[in-house]
Amino acid sequence: MTAERSAALHGEVVERDVVIVGGGPAGLSAAARLASAGLAVTILDEQPELGGQYYRRPAPAVAEQWGDHRPDGGRLIARVRAAGAECRTGHLVWGVDDDGRTLLASDAAGHPVRLRARHLVLATGAFERVFPFPGWQLPGVTTPGFAQHLAAGDHTTIGERVVLAGSGPFLLPVACSLIELGVTVVGIAEAGRPYRPSLRALGALGHPARLRELAGYVARLARARVPIWQETVVLRADGRDRVSSVTLAAAARPARPVRTVEVDALCVGYGFRPQTDLARMLGCAVRVDVASGDAVPVTDAAGRASRADVYVVGEAAGIGGVHAAKARGLAAAHDILTREVRETVPVAEVRRVASARRRLARFTALTDSLYPGPAALLATLAPALPADTMVCRCEAVRAEEIRATAAGSADGDLNATKAWSRAGMGPCQGRECGFAVAGLVRSVAPRPGAGDGESRVEVFPSRLPVRPIPLATLLELAGPDSQEGDRS
Amino acid sequence: MTTARGRTAPRTRIVVDGNSVHAVDGISLAAVLVGERRWSLRRNPVGDDPRGPFCGMGVCFECEVTVDGRPGVRACITKIYDGMRVETAVEEEAPHDR
Ligand SMILES: Cc1cc2nc3c(=O)[nH]c(=O)nc-3n(C[C@H](O)[C@H](O)[C@H](O)COP(=O)(O)OP(=O)(O)OC[C@H]3O[C@@H](n4cnc5c(N)ncnc54)[C@H](O)[C@@H]3O)c2cc1C
Ligand code: FES
Repeated sequence: MTAERSAALHGEVVERDVVIVGGGPAGLSAAARLASAGLAVTILDEQPELGGQYYRRPAPAVAEQWGDHRPDGGRLIARVRAAGAECRTGHLVWGVDDDGRTLLASDAAGHPVRLRARHLVLATGAFERVFPFPGWQLPGVTTPGFAQHLAAGDHTTIGERVVLAGSGPFLLPVACSLIELGVTVVGIAEAGRPYRPSLRALGALGHPARLRELAGYVARLARARVPIWQETVVLRADGRDRVSSVTLAAAARPARPVRTVEVDALCVGYGFRPQTDLARMLGCAVRVDVASGDAVPVTDAAGRASRADVYVVGEAAGIGGVHAAKARGLAAAHDILTREVRETVPVAEVRRVASARRRLARFTALTDSLYPGPAALLATLAPALPADTMVCRCEAVRAEEIRATAAGSADGDLNATKAWSRAGMGPCQGRECGFAVAGLVRSVAPRPGAGDGESRVEVFPSRLPVRPIPLATLLELAGPDSQEGDRS
Repeated sequence: MTTARGRTAPRTRIVVDGNSVHAVDGISLAAVLVGERRWSLRRNPVGDDPRGPFCGMGVCFECEVTVDGRPGVRACITKIYDGMRVETAVEEEAPHDR
């Protein structure tokens, strides 16, 4: 589209000092600080309510009956509203116009909205890292985050007999939430060996509160007699129209079964991956994080990206948990306020946030070191993936097709593999299969001279729109002329 | 309904494939369906196999259903309201059906 054409785009136009995409802990923290300093702030989220993943709000009826599990989230949202930030929920930001700065969004009814601001803050959070196995597309197999949202937000159980699997600290609070609702957690399969007798001692030795929290979960699960099977991964899930059993294997020999367990739900996740499509679409530089293999935007300490008018904050800038997400949101707000010269941010406030950020980064490094790094895991799991495993759920592409394409016509290139095999081309845009596809490509076609191969894991490029949007939205954006026919 | 303690929370009625379902007001549509153990919501367009909610956060598109005539609505990020009409793309089988 030329500049002239985009000038002719239709729909509502919003101009603000700051536009924030994502209403989770990071975006909300930035919004509260900026709006209370008098800036014109708009915060958007595609969900029906603000809160993001961590502060996802329970329905009022649930909160009334069973309590609000995270009342601080409700208070933060109330502060954002009271400070005068414009809150647009049900708004999906799906792309960037050709001018490279106007965000393209659609509102809850599907009408187009365009937004421009002097400062863009991307706080789009993270999604769960999953890895396929035969049967993972069966209904009843989900991410741990889904089980957590059902339990904590909707007071609904995901099943009666559940196995949690994958890796990372998140499996523990999810297991505890399920137990609280009376679910039988048959066991937790953890790919690494993070839980050693010394872990409880670590907690007691004055390490940060969240490590103690972790030790607390372990203790609670021990009391409930929930086994934690360490160095164990899912080999396959079986069932007719719905999962009915899961077979586990030792992580070191992922193709050899060690036990089969009957379940009515199975939740598997390997932590989180930053959601960076918008940052990349805006041309922000990204780097490959060696331990995770994920693309992370390059930012300075305040979250400013390689483009001076774009900030990436919260887990979109790298996984670090809710407290780090909030600290990053605040640091970006301080930077923006300083640049706007509307207000001098008190030195003590800036220092407090900066030191919290450093402390939390050390803590993240400490917890990360307990669990296997995703890139290393991928190097073990990808070669062992059975040939007929459906890797791309959307386009139903199996491991053998991806391997053959990567080793053949695509010649080891991730994007060519995607284009030729169609893996990653469906509506989820490779969010669910991308990690595995990258691993499969590398396992059959290691980059010559790339050293250990692990540091070279690549990601699919971001594609417009970031989520499928109705054709009607595009037609309305293009204006009345187009509706007569040239596009349909 | 599996939320046994939930009897007294305000409930609302929605219609799923023509059948009335009562659930706690304002919870997510995915929670209502999974709470009823109604897992299969659509069929994969390529392989035709049944699919159900997976990510619970709006990124996988496996929970798409038709709500009040509007197709492609993600049940996991949609809250229920009284009288909501939901159509899935998978017929519920009677347990003895095959
Ligand atoms: C399913 C799930 C459950 C989780 N549960 C927990 C938990 O119980 N405890 C815990 O400690 N951590 C949990 N986490 C980890 C969580 O990511 C962080 O703790 C925290 O929520 C990160 O904050 P954030 O503000 O960076 O991002 P988020 O809280 O993820 O907020 C990002 C927001 O941006 C919105 N968004 C993204 N892209 C767009 C777009 N293009 N247009 C419009 N809106 C957009 C999303 O809808 C979301 O609301 C969970 C993560 C996931 C994925
Ligand atoms: S369950 Fe993934 S989009 Fe709803």
